[in-house]
Amino acid sequence: MIEFLQQAITGMMIGSLYALVAAAIVLVYKSTHVVSLAHGQLVAFGALFFWLFIGGLGLPFWVGIIPAFVLTALIGLLIERLTLRPLIGQPLIAAFLMTFAIFLVLEGVFVLYLKGETRTLPAFLPEGNMDISGISVPINQFIGFLAALFLFAALSLIFKYTKIGLGMRATAEDHRLAQGTGITVRNIFSYIWVLSAIVAVVAGIATANVMDIYYMLPYIGISGLIVAICGGLDSLLGALVVGLLLGVVENVGAAYLDPLVGGGVKDVAAYVVLLLVLLIRPYGLFGLVRIERI
Amino acid sequence: MRPCGVFDKSYGLDIAIIRTWQHWVILISALILLFLFPLFGSYYIISFMNYLAISVIVGLGLQIVSGYCGQISFGQAAFMAIGAYTSAVLTIKFGVSFWIALPLSGIMAGLVGIIGGAPSLRIKGMYLAMATIAIHFVVIWLILHMEITGSFKGLFPPPPSLGGFEFDTDERMFYIIMTVMVIMTYAARNLVRSKVGRAFVAIRDNDLAGEVMGVNLYYYKLLAFFVSCFYAGIAGSLWGHLITVVNSEQFTLMHALEYIGMLIIGGMGSIPGVFFGVLFIRILNELVMFTSPLLAKAVPWLGSSPAAALGLVAFGLALIIFLIFEPRGLAHRWEIFKASYRLYPFAY
Repeated sequence: MIEFLQQAITGMMIGSLYALVAAAIVLVYKSTHVVSLAHGQLVAFGALFFWLFIGGLGLPFWVGIIPAFVLTALIGLLIERLTLRPLIGQPLIAAFLMTFAIFLVLEGVFVLYLKGETRTLPAFLPEGNMDISGISVPINQFIGFLAALFLFAALSLIFKYTKIGLGMRATAEDHRLAQGTGITVRNIFSYIWVLSAIVAVVAGIATANVMDIYYMLPYIGISGLIVAICGGLDSLLGALVVGLLLGVVENVGAAYLDPLVGGGVKDVAAYVVLLLVLLIRPYGLFGLVRIERI
Repeated sequence: MRPCGVFDKSYGLDIAIIRTWQHWVILISALILLFLFPLFGSYYIISFMNYLAISVIVGLGLQIVSGYCGQISFGQAAFMAIGAYTSAVLTIKFGVSFWIALPLSGIMAGLVGIIGGAPSLRIKGMYLAMATIAIHFVVIWLILHMEITGSFKGLFPPPPSLGGFEFDTDERMFYIIMTVMVIMTYAARNLVRSKVGRAFVAIRDNDLAGEVMGVNLYYYKLLAFFVSCFYAGIAGSLWGHLITVVNSEQFTLMHALEYIGMLIIGGMGSIPGVFFGVLFIRILNELVMFTSPLLAKAVPWLGSSPAAALGLVAFGLALIIFLIFEPRGLAHRWEIFKASYRLYPFAY
């Protein structure tokens, strides 16, 4: 039992990273109805910028984190302004394919920069393990987990209580109606990409905290997308719950099934979960069911 | 391609692929040129054309399911892998001749494709695209974890032979590949002008409306997946016997993304579009291959071997430019040319 719990808790720590990436994707989908494949790159670039300022230049944590936020938000802003805005009015699948093209370009730049090497963040959080009745939890991962929870709470509050959040919700409902009530829809799109890039940076830093920055890092975007779809693309709560669950399923599945099938369960568990969810509840576990008319 | 003054007087003429005797002349001379090509083409060009032709076959399959039926599929590389492995296993482990293994590998990929296409009954658009990505990874994972597929090492299928004649060089394989490509292109062109093709287009344009009009959604969606994966399987089998080695590294998600990119650039819903797209992407890739060593010398920051990464950047930028400025792809330019040819020598 203790072993199961240990695996589950470790999985949950990883799952909180998926949940953060998924949150960034959900944010964009909620107000622009664009499903983004490019967020894995925002995560990777966030981590890379953070490494540049902390590891490369040796700035202290709180100073280094600000330019990382600013630069990644700038990338998000440019993506929205240069590539997605010309596509307004085109079929939604075009925007999806556009984010995939952006993924390719940024992937190329990322690989060019790294040149097959890895970058490791210096330890900026306290080391060591906490011991909760026999289950050990690394403190730095636990801090990342708390940061994820805090960010989710903050995002929900922003959406619920601020004027911009209200504008975002209205935009999500109907672009034209929102415009009619005096919301500048174009600005909302820019805000949402900046906000989502900031969430992606947090995800990137939390991820780089656990593993090295290497060429596979952007592919966490695909895991994030899987979580976002399983949770329902317009539900922040869904992203959090399914993200944590997926981490648990991957880790527990790997621990108990790997000896039976000869390894590699971790690589494929997420995809099997996605297929099952799509077959049983196509709009995700917490998503709004949309009714179509001709 | 109809010159001015040629009118369709019957349904048969309206759907005809080849309309005038000039077209027959062009077609037959082009085919003769194609098959005489290995006599004077260089080895590099011939192997490049083999590669192009195999990509065209995969692209045609994807065009049928994504361009005509509207079900975006990122799983094409995985289905190609199924074809390649089926053919390799049949020829190595069971001693089946290549000529029987080729259609069987297509059918095998098609059957798996029906399973893979099953989610399309409930989901569509972006959700389906993600489901096909999931299917890709599940298929590749299964291939890596099965005994019969040789796991990470892969398999080494023999080159095909016919009556003692070994098709063991690129020049010799050229004939097989080109014949298959010509047949497959004709089959695809023929399929999309038939009742089935019109049903596909109806599903793409509005599936609900199509269903109301009496199109059996389930049947036609699964048929589209079967045909598409059949094409991928055939291409995979040819590929395996061409380079005589099959492993999972040749069928990554990036390859599947490349085929979708070809469709975007060539134009969705057009058979010539596949050819344009394949040519564009492959030539772009070759250009990057040639120029990247020069670039690396000029800009030391890029490192010693930037070809792969620069290829990604070039591919992505091409996609972005096409999506913004030419969303209907190169095939749209071709349509414009055809329309003006139809009117020539008049202005309208």
